[in-house]
Amino acid sequence: MITRRIFIAAAALLAFAGWATAPVPASADPRSESAARFVQDLGARAVDILITPDLQRQEVENRFRTLLNEGFDVPYIGRFVLGRNWNTATPEQRQEYLELFERLIVKVYADRFSEYSGQSLDSGETLKILGHRPEGERDAIVQSQIVRPDGPPVTVEWRVRQRDGQNKIIDVAVEGVSMSVTQRNEFASVIQRGGGSIDALLNALRQRTAAR
Amino acid sequence: MSAIADGDPLEPVNRVVYGFNEAADILVLRPAAEVYRGTVPTPVRMAVRNFLLNLTSPLLVANELLQGDFEGAQVAFSRFLVNTTIGLGGAFDIAGRYRDLHYEYEDFGQTLAVWGVPDGPYLVLPLLGPSNLRDATGLVADTAADPVNIWANNADRSGAMAVRAGVTGVDTRTELIEAVDDLRRNSLDPYASARSLYRQRRATEINDGSGGSIEFPDYEDIDEPAVENGAGSSNSN
Repeated sequence: MITRRIFIAAAALLAFAGWATAPVPASADPRSESAARFVQDLGARAVDILITPDLQRQEVENRFRTLLNEGFDVPYIGRFVLGRNWNTATPEQRQEYLELFERLIVKVYADRFSEYSGQSLDSGETLKILGHRPEGERDAIVQSQIVRPDGPPVTVEWRVRQRDGQNKIIDVAVEGVSMSVTQRNEFASVIQRGGGSIDALLNALRQRTAAR
Repeated sequence: MSAIADGDPLEPVNRVVYGFNEAADILVLRPAAEVYRGTVPTPVRMAVRNFLLNLTSPLLVANELLQGDFEGAQVAFSRFLVNTTIGLGGAFDIAGRYRDLHYEYEDFGQTLAVWGVPDGPYLVLPLLGPSNLRDATGLVADTAADPVNIWANNADRSGAMAVRAGVTGVDTRTELIEAVDDLRRNSLDPYASARSLYRQRRATEINDGSGGSIEFPDYEDIDEPAVENGAGSSNSN
């Protein structure tokens, strides 16, 4: 390996023009292969929303909500994010929490989408699937790169769980940072600072998701 | 989830420093980053960043060696050779065009982690932001051992050191404009989110890119108590 690196450094020193690198060989696991196709398709549909010009804000939210619920297991993620606080919540609190959680995601992403809307993006260029592998009993990790017009590409890993033959994303890790874990820590802190009460979180979510 | 279980026993003090940093950022650093991005063309900013990164090469090699990662040291050394010569003193990341010669961030905090030193209490450093006792110690060691800094000290060029620190700060902040804006707008508790992001990011850096193992339990039966004790704490080491 080390000699190979020296060779490469030498080659780079001699001829530093572009040198095509071999693509990453994809594993032949059917489960993770289907997950990779699933993520690729979802990415293409997200780009579709982004490049459609002059979309009304409400329409962006509607389209994103459909995409979200088809692509992601939102109740699962919501429950994971609430962590152990789920166990002490009453059925009413759980129900309200899951509704607010979905509304929060839709709102946050609709904001982000409208920020980038109308850009000329090519779905094949924007989301590049680099590889995929089975993870645990029923999950698959799909590795991808999101290419930005300005700045280095971002590594994104999608954790896809198969249930009843259906693929659903249950976590997204950006540069090794899990979105679900980050949000779990965020919500736990809100609850802790609110004296350990889930109502503190529900209040904050109500305020954040209220129309403004 | 007490403060101590989260490894943040200094949370009250940290939140005060965090508030100070937010004010300093909104008043000075973020505007400076915006001006920098708005006035200096992208290729020039890329060259500045590459040059600054190349200056840290001796530290990268040293830390890779101290971690026993000889391949990593080889890569960092090859990058330094290629970029300093063909890359015109480091302004161009020629080596980065090759798959096996990509940049990898290393510092003495990571080296200490590889040696088994625990991260210690979470710290928010004035102006520098999220850290912990181990990484702050590493930062002091890296700064003291940096050959460029040693040269600047000996040659009585403290001005050069200040310029380097300032440009590095503005350059780093420029990279994060959108991310920090997004965090401020969307997090219900930006302090807690930043702490979580820092810990996960460091865990990934220490493992050289491979993320930690988070447990994603099955919630088939909604009435059954969830088994998820490991998930919250596994990333906070």
